[in-house]
Amino acid sequence: MIEKNPGICPMLNASSGTAKNLIEKIKSEIMRNSLVKRDLIWLELTGCSGNIISLLNGSNPDFKFLITNMVNLIYNNSLMAAEGEAALDALVNKTGSDYILAVEGAISTKNNGLYNIIGRWKGEPLTALKAVQLLGDRASHVIAVGACATHGGVSAARPNPAECVSVQSILKRKVIKLPGCPCHPDWFLGTLAHILLYGEPELDDRDRHLLFYSMLIHDRCPRRSYFDNGVFATRLGEKTCMFKLGCRGPVTRIDCPVRQWNSYVNWPIRDDTPCIGCAMFGFPDSMEPFISYDTTRKR
Amino acid sequence: MIKSEKTICQRMKQIIEESESNIKMLFKMPCIYARTSVLFELSANTAELNELCSQLIENENRQVQPTQSNITIEQLSQFTGKNGNPAYVAVNGIVYDVTNNAAWAAATHFGLTAGKDLTDEFASCHAGHSILDKLKVVGKLI
Ligand code: HEM
Ligand code: SF4
Repeated sequence: MIEKNPGICPMLNASSGTAKNLIEKIKSEIMRNSLVKRDLIWLELTGCSGNIISLLNGSNPDFKFLITNMVNLIYNNSLMAAEGEAALDALVNKTGSDYILAVEGAISTKNNGLYNIIGRWKGEPLTALKAVQLLGDRASHVIAVGACATHGGVSAARPNPAECVSVQSILKRKVIKLPGCPCHPDWFLGTLAHILLYGEPELDDRDRHLLFYSMLIHDRCPRRSYFDNGVFATRLGEKTCMFKLGCRGPVTRIDCPVRQWNSYVNWPIRDDTPCIGCAMFGFPDSMEPFISYDTTRKR
Repeated sequence: MIKSEKTICQRMKQIIEESESNIKMLFKMPCIYARTSVLFELSANTAELNELCSQLIENENRQVQPTQSNITIEQLSQFTGKNGNPAYVAVNGIVYDVTNNAAWAAATHFGLTAGKDLTDEFASCHAGHSILDKLKVVGKLI
């Protein structure tokens, strides 16, 4: 007795609405007053602060919803009102209680971390390295947000003058990794929502959140039929597959083709730019060259 | 790596057993979603069977032409995937064609470039993965 084929693949369908579903669930739990707000510390270390900017651009939910309904934002050096030692007070006083730690940026290790000082505490410089050591072990969850925090990224690119490393290289504990340059607001908010509702999400063998990082860009690329038929763009601007130009979609696991960016309006490949693998370990060095015009013959 | 006929046949038998139990399960399964996922598994199984058959045929061909073209390291260095040339890489003495392999866009892959013997680099990331069986063999590195 075989029932009719449901027609659409429920797995792929579900993956497009993941962050949204989690957030809807969060909203209903908040309405029922059953969700406990947790404390969040967001450290900006050695990087460009692009991940916090990306988060501020989140729309589903937006940043205001995050800090009013989901978490108490205890510390973020770009956004908090307090400054100087008063700001660091908030940070250091937190170490004894429950909190979730998000880290963006790599950790500079040269000269015992002196290349990145995030503030002064009792007259002593507090290095990025020290901050991660201090807060990393005691957090209930550590989330590495963006390329630099997850694997060194741009900050650790050759020649890496400040000897930057990932958060995981400093901490001997589970670090949830959300690579991307920057991290999409949904990847972070979806992960945070999952932690608030259900605890640690299911991760792959590199500790990436499977909900977002399970498919290759190449798997759902709208230009895939061109690839399969060997129709390749020879320069930027052509609408066919950009494989010969150096597209990294086939080695990059993330859901950009279905999620898209800037409140879901567009993404690189739709805008005729090959994927540069920004959400893959090893970016940027291992993903270069980003574009190549000197290529193999046509198939 | 080239697998022996025996290992290929053993794997085939395994797949057939798995598929048979999956088919039995399908008859009893009420949930359409679970059924879809079993169907996906079945289709992965047939894909693998297909792959294994190609390997058997390829093994046969290898025996028919024991001397595939021999390629020196100098010759290999021409096949960089640039200037319209194909992209070849060597691993464990065998030269493979990665010209149209999706993971080797613009003849580069995680900082590696084509036209070289990449045995050590391959071992450092892909040891134990069955990746090479899927690539086209162009010859032996001498
Ligand atoms: C001769 C050297 C190499 C060859 C021929 C090669 C070939 C391939 C191929 C064909 C794939 C596609 C995967 C598949 O078909 O299942 C792949 C994926 C991959 N390769 Fe390599 N590779 C080589 C070296 C390396 C090295 C040195 C690294 C590490 C830096 C690496 C890292 C990866 C990763 C991470 C993926 C998987 C992407 C994913 O699916 O998530 N490869 N490689
Ligand atoms: S453009 Fe990139 S991701 Fe899309 S099909 Fe071509 S190689 Fe794959």
